[in-house]
Amino acid sequence: MKNSERSSETYLITRWQQFCAGDKTAFGELTELNYAALYHYGTRFTPDRDLIKDCLQDLFLEIWEKRETLSYIAAIKPYLFQSLRNNLIRRIRRQSVFSDIRDDDVQDDISPESDWIIQETDQLTSHRLKQAIDALPKRQKEALYLKYYENLSYEEIATVMGLQRQAVANYLQYGIRKLREYWQHATIFLALCSEIAWH
Amino acid sequence: MNNYSHFQVKDWLDDPAFQRWVYHGEQDAFWKEFIHDHPGQQANIDQARELLLAVRGELDALPDSEVKLRVNEILNAIPDEKLRALPWWRSNWLKIAAMLLLALGIVTALFKGRENLQGLQTFVAGLNDGDKPGLLEIHNQTNAIQLVNLPDGSSVILKKHARISYPAAFAADRREVTLRGEAFFEVVKNPEQPFFVFAGSMVTKVKGTSFSIKANDDDEDVELVVKTGVVEVSALENEERSQVGAGKKLILKPNELVTFNRKSLNMVTKTVQKPVLLNLPAESQNFEFKRTPLAEVFAELEKTYGIRIQFDARAIAHCTLTAKLGDEPVHEKLDLICAVVNARYETRGSTVTIASEGCE
Repeated sequence: MKNSERSSETYLITRWQQFCAGDKTAFGELTELNYAALYHYGTRFTPDRDLIKDCLQDLFLEIWEKRETLSYIAAIKPYLFQSLRNNLIRRIRRQSVFSDIRDDDVQDDISPESDWIIQETDQLTSHRLKQAIDALPKRQKEALYLKYYENLSYEEIATVMGLQRQAVANYLQYGIRKLREYWQHATIFLALCSEIAWH
Repeated sequence: MNNYSHFQVKDWLDDPAFQRWVYHGEQDAFWKEFIHDHPGQQANIDQARELLLAVRGELDALPDSEVKLRVNEILNAIPDEKLRALPWWRSNWLKIAAMLLLALGIVTALFKGRENLQGLQTFVAGLNDGDKPGLLEIHNQTNAIQLVNLPDGSSVILKKHARISYPAAFAADRREVTLRGEAFFEVVKNPEQPFFVFAGSMVTKVKGTSFSIKANDDDEDVELVVKTGVVEVSALENEERSQVGAGKKLILKPNELVTFNRKSLNMVTKTVQKPVLLNLPAESQNFEFKRTPLAEVFAELEKTYGIRIQFDARAIAHCTLTAKLGDEPVHEKLDLICAVVNARYETRGSTVTIASEGCE
């Protein structure tokens, strides 16, 4: 992801305060710095790219509207992630009222499918891993994503997902264990395959 | 760093530097070497890497240009409340319409202009083979401003008598230039390859910003003011560049000005109304265009960068531009403009030639 630029925390907080005071330039900069990461997070919930972009526009316009009430927020990124998540889920739910409801994933409150395709799909292990990831409940996938890819702390993930900290810890622990088990199966399977091929 | 050799898969997963390598390719050389030197860790690293990539999922990255576009849309959708003394042309509907136009053109044409820059570089390199091997120096001996395109695509506007030296190709992990005199910089964003300006014992480190430096040999002070982004300033304690970072550092934000004393190495900062130090058009230019005829846009660029832009006036007679360009280097601005108006450009020396099929 290109915006890996780790803009210093203090700088962001300064800009956030300026934005809350009505500085449009600071607002534009904050929007630009967070847009790509939020968008990518949005793809966890729906394959509908336009919907995500719509939600992002709504989200930023909304926070601009209520900027004066936002100066208490110190953890900017979790706040934005949480807001996007709520907006998106609300929109997806509303949509599904009008379209055919496919409830093939009972334990989940989000969209029917999100595509988890990893880069080297042609590799067998990666393919297995994709299946493993697919097999995880969506909330576990999401917690893993926020922890590893977005580097959020347990507390921040709890805020974003509206969970208790302990629930986050459980999700993560369980998720990583499952993935590693799959990995091991995959490796053994591969080893067997090559055995057979050799003999 | 030293206990990496005893790492388990779980440790790798949680290691921030390792994550940054997997996700963003940071410190690639270091990690490749590490794997090479620690074959015993290969299996663990492979597993951790695959797991991290699986967790991330498909990377449906947005190009920077699209992010800019969306941000502009958002900014333009903000209602102009209470008529806060905004210029008349900053109302919204025109911009939104034009942004759609931008969106159409950008994807196809954005990368077309890339090669042009190379041409300019070789031209410049051929002109100025300095005394050090591979080091180029440009000295502005004209009475006007002079644009220098650095090997990474960054723009530098030299004022009269200013001189800048830089390598024909930057090192993989850093970009270093030396400045004497007055200049305005627009640095290509690349956090993995910080950009250093050495100017009269003041060292400036940035990742991608725009700022002005005034470092005249006869002046006791060196001055710097930030237009966009963040700039880090420190003193060069002795001539060895490896000493950078040992002393005091200052972090500057937009509209902050630092005065640096060459002898005492003292730094004093203050906030200014406008980031103008050299009275260059580029310092105060915001590049906001609203249905501006293309010829006027080009005139603006010519004035700002001290370049010449050649075009067929009849072909572009109907072309207008509505866009907000920022602190991108000149070639990125040209990429954007050409994307919108369905044109191509070529650079030769300080002359840019535009070929457009017109906008009907």
